[in-house]
Amino acid sequence: MKSATRTPIGNSMTDKQQDTIDFGYQQVAKADKQKLVANVFQSVAQKYDLMNDLMSFGIHRLWKRYTIDCSGVRAGMRVLDIAGGTGDLTEQFARRVGASGEVVLADINDAMLAVGRDKLRNRGIVGNVRYVQANAEELPFADDSFDIITIAFGLRNVTDKQKALESMFRVLKPGGRLLVLEFSKPQPPLLSQAYDFYSFNVLPKMGQLVAGDADSYQYLAESIRMHPDQETLKSMMEQAGYAEVSYHNLTGGIVAMHRGYKF
Amino acid sequence: MLWAMLPTSLLETLLQQLLLLDPESQARLRKLDGKRLRLTLDDVGKAITISVNQQGLWLSWFDQEPVDCAIRSRLAVLPELREAANITRLIKADMLDIEGDPMLAQALSKLFAELDIDWPEQLAMRLGDVPAQLLVQTWQRSRQWLQQQRSDQRQWLRDALIEEQQLLPSTAEFSLFRSDVQALRARIDRLERQLSGWKG
Ligand SMILES: C[S@@+](CC[C@H](N)C(=O)[O-])C[C@H]1O[C@@H](n2cnc3c(N)ncnc32)[C@H](O)[C@@H]1O
Repeated sequence: MKSATRTPIGNSMTDKQQDTIDFGYQQVAKADKQKLVANVFQSVAQKYDLMNDLMSFGIHRLWKRYTIDCSGVRAGMRVLDIAGGTGDLTEQFARRVGASGEVVLADINDAMLAVGRDKLRNRGIVGNVRYVQANAEELPFADDSFDIITIAFGLRNVTDKQKALESMFRVLKPGGRLLVLEFSKPQPPLLSQAYDFYSFNVLPKMGQLVAGDADSYQYLAESIRMHPDQETLKSMMEQAGYAEVSYHNLTGGIVAMHRGYKF
Repeated sequence: MLWAMLPTSLLETLLQQLLLLDPESQARLRKLDGKRLRLTLDDVGKAITISVNQQGLWLSWFDQEPVDCAIRSRLAVLPELREAANITRLIKADMLDIEGDPMLAQALSKLFAELDIDWPEQLAMRLGDVPAQLLVQTWQRSRQWLQQQRSDQRQWLRDALIEEQQLLPSTAEFSLFRSDVQALRARIDRLERQLSGWKG
């Protein structure tokens, strides 16, 4: 990962003026975060799926499966998988919506999209998936377009999360639902300690060993800690207009799945 | 809860793969496209939803959307549902509750009951002709051997019973024997009485 101008969080508290924003534990100029995040994912794209399996011991597949199961997806629906990366959720949705439905795999990063597109095509997913390079904060879709929107492990990378939640609300059809799958705050204290040790000691080394990139995985661990906890994200969703917002902790709260509706 | 999804995923994949092995499945799935059935098992305390589309069928423990047919029953009662004749009795006994289209459950089970898979061909495609042929021959031979064993055992039992029967006394012989025993017992009784008379 290439670094840009970054200031340690302790030195810069100008965040109040909204000029800077967290990038992991660093404060960076707001305008820079998008580029920095882009660098991270540009750098990990090729090894992303392998690293996901290694880092989570394969459990990310169950977290994603749970999200699909809670989505209420049905044949003929239109689904947006924003920050969809290499398309794990898109693949499952595409199989379920069938030929009469459509899934849009959208991501800000063309390298991640390219890996996703190749993977899905190799697995025979063609005809009902569209690939769109898009920023979650300014979705290039008409109002009321989708029955379901998912953002999995993507929201914490977005510069202005509130804006992204509002943008997703706009393109959701009335009656539609948003599912946010994201790292969160582990609940049992012992789990939290073990998880900290794992994230800051094991993860970056694993990243170095497998993907030749410790920095990106250090960022991953830090960005998880900086992400709003379960209750904060819930109120952010409510503020964006979602109704009946609820969340469910998975694996002791390491990950949480938030769900909200547009009525 | 999360781990419970693992066997469900595996089962789903297995079912999909089985369906793929029969080219007729496509047409059967098309007829059921978009249909959804929910099975609530009271003893397990959970409901599984089965959704069908042309790609296959999908299982979910967390789906709460409306379905075309909802069945409520108990795990132990499920095998009885295979017989259509049992259904009314089970409903009356409060062991089964069906809401919506009852034919859907039957159509779904037919999807698998009607599967016609050409195993030798499937194996040949995966393993190559020679190993597949060997495997099929071994399977057929073991099946023949098993069937032979089973029919040998049955034959042995039948023979044993016939032989035993030949040794068994006829009814007439038995009643003759019984009256002899009764006569003997009467004589012993008499002797006993005489003996006690002499003692006295
Ligand atoms: C950790 S990956 C998650 C990929 C996929 N959803 C998954 O669960 O495997 C995060 C993705 O978010 C994308 N991303 C980051 N910021 C974004 C933004 N503002 N808009 C859209 N996508 C963004 C990244 O490019 C990256 O592909």
